[in-house]
Amino acid sequence: MARYRPEPDRDSREWWERVGRREFAVQVCDACGTARFPARAFCARCRTEGAHWREVAPEGTVESWIVNHQPFVPGPREPYVVVMVRLAAVPGCFVYGNWRGRRPPEHGERVTASYTRVDADLTLVDWRPGP
Amino acid sequence: MTDVPKRLLAFSDLTAIAGVGYTPFTKNSGVSTLTLACRAVLAALEDAGLPVDQVDGLATHRVGDSAPPTLVGPALGLTDLAWHLDQFGGGSVSHAVVGQAALAVATGMAETVVCYRAVNARSEFRMGGTGRGVPVSPEVQYQAPYGYVAPPQQYAMYARAHMLKYGTKAEHFGQLAVTQRANAAKNPRALMRIPITLDDYLASRWIAEPFRLLDCCLETDGACAVVVTTAERARALRRPPVLVSAAAWGGGTTHLSGPGADPTVTAAAALAPRLYAQAGLGPDDIDVAELYDCFTYSVIVQLEDYGFCGKGEGGPYVASGATAAGGPLPVNTHGGFLSEGYVHGMNHIAEAVSQLRGDAGERQVPGAEVALSTAQPGYILPATSALILRRP
Ligand SMILES: [Zn+2]
Repeated sequence: MARYRPEPDRDSREWWERVGRREFAVQVCDACGTARFPARAFCARCRTEGAHWREVAPEGTVESWIVNHQPFVPGPREPYVVVMVRLAAVPGCFVYGNWRGRRPPEHGERVTASYTRVDADLTLVDWRPGP
Repeated sequence: MTDVPKRLLAFSDLTAIAGVGYTPFTKNSGVSTLTLACRAVLAALEDAGLPVDQVDGLATHRVGDSAPPTLVGPALGLTDLAWHLDQFGGGSVSHAVVGQAALAVATGMAETVVCYRAVNARSEFRMGGTGRGVPVSPEVQYQAPYGYVAPPQQYAMYARAHMLKYGTKAEHFGQLAVTQRANAAKNPRALMRIPITLDDYLASRWIAEPFRLLDCCLETDGACAVVVTTAERARALRRPPVLVSAAAWGGGTTHLSGPGADPTVTAAAALAPRLYAQAGLGPDDIDVAELYDCFTYSVIVQLEDYGFCGKGEGGPYVASGATAAGGPLPVNTHGGFLSEGYVHGMNHIAEAVSQLRGDAGERQVPGAEVALSTAQPGYILPATSALILRRP
């Protein structure tokens, strides 16, 4: 069976379009300059609408990971690794992805986004070791 | 200590749980959730010694998987409920349902509210996520494409973060599973009563590393209900009343979008000071704790966030035997979701009531006067709820 496909909403559509172009961008508040992820209409800091997209270094550090053995959803073949990455560009925010390293992840290690083209309409952000 | 408004202090001990009821816990109930709900509601009323026609409120929580009060009421001939609640949510709101029923009773909006949770969580809608669609939430799109969507995976992720930060070990998780199974062995309701060892735990198959099968709660068919009424009325009924000393809600940050998120701290850390202050009590006053145990790790992190041990010390605290029967803080005396059954939180409240009434049989904590019972600590739906119950 096919894997789950993300269903972009009115907040997130642009994020997915940019990922499709292998662009890693986050929203930055027009009023106070706070970066945020995932895409939202409101800045949680100054509670205003209005933001622009800023391309940032697709980097972070490994906060945690799992090695999945039980088939919970169709698509990926077990066992596979999902990493939880602390995003460098947006303090306090995490992103997830599959691990594209040849060895297991290490706690706190620097990682970089690795784009995986699933098909013509879907590209996903995965993570590999190193800057 | 946290400031508590006078009006809230007046709420403390104004309401009581007057009865509890269960259906059997099984892997296949063979009946609808509507039937399960009716059976548990009637059992709780029977326990309280109250006729059905005196019920004027019904409350539940669900995630599209069960019968709502507007069906259960008419099915029992209750066609004009003064108050009802159909709360969206899973384990994180289990205790909020009883808290809200207590608020309704305290204001006089209703006098007798039965709170229930009824699930066919093994035979129909598997709570673990296997074989059903992904939840509807804007955050799912950033997780599910990577094969990351089920609670055991999410909790395993947080459990590893805790292991990495504090040195928590598989053996700590294992000790908790072993301890709770020992409790379940003394509970006739429990689905899993055969004792296990740490070796059994370590040999159980991987689900999502660092979680093994025995880190995960059961998926259960069954229902549980509790009767909430005024303390005054409860005193006149068949069973010793158990007072609702505090009910609290808290938290709200998801671990996808900070700010400042620390995945080793749960919503319980925000809620706990309010909860204790409302009851005028602290962690040292708790005689028995029924802590939401969808997974072993959730108990360990709550022991920290409810202040029973220091941050990061939950693993060694469990390994010391502190949470076992006879220890300073018996936890999940019925075996919990890991071994009794998973009715999404209501069975924790019902067990706390039994302990405080002194009718928990072989697993009774001697002289238990104050109990803490908690909901899913806020890792998935990012808020939590909890109750402090006590003997009058
Ligand atoms: Zn702003």
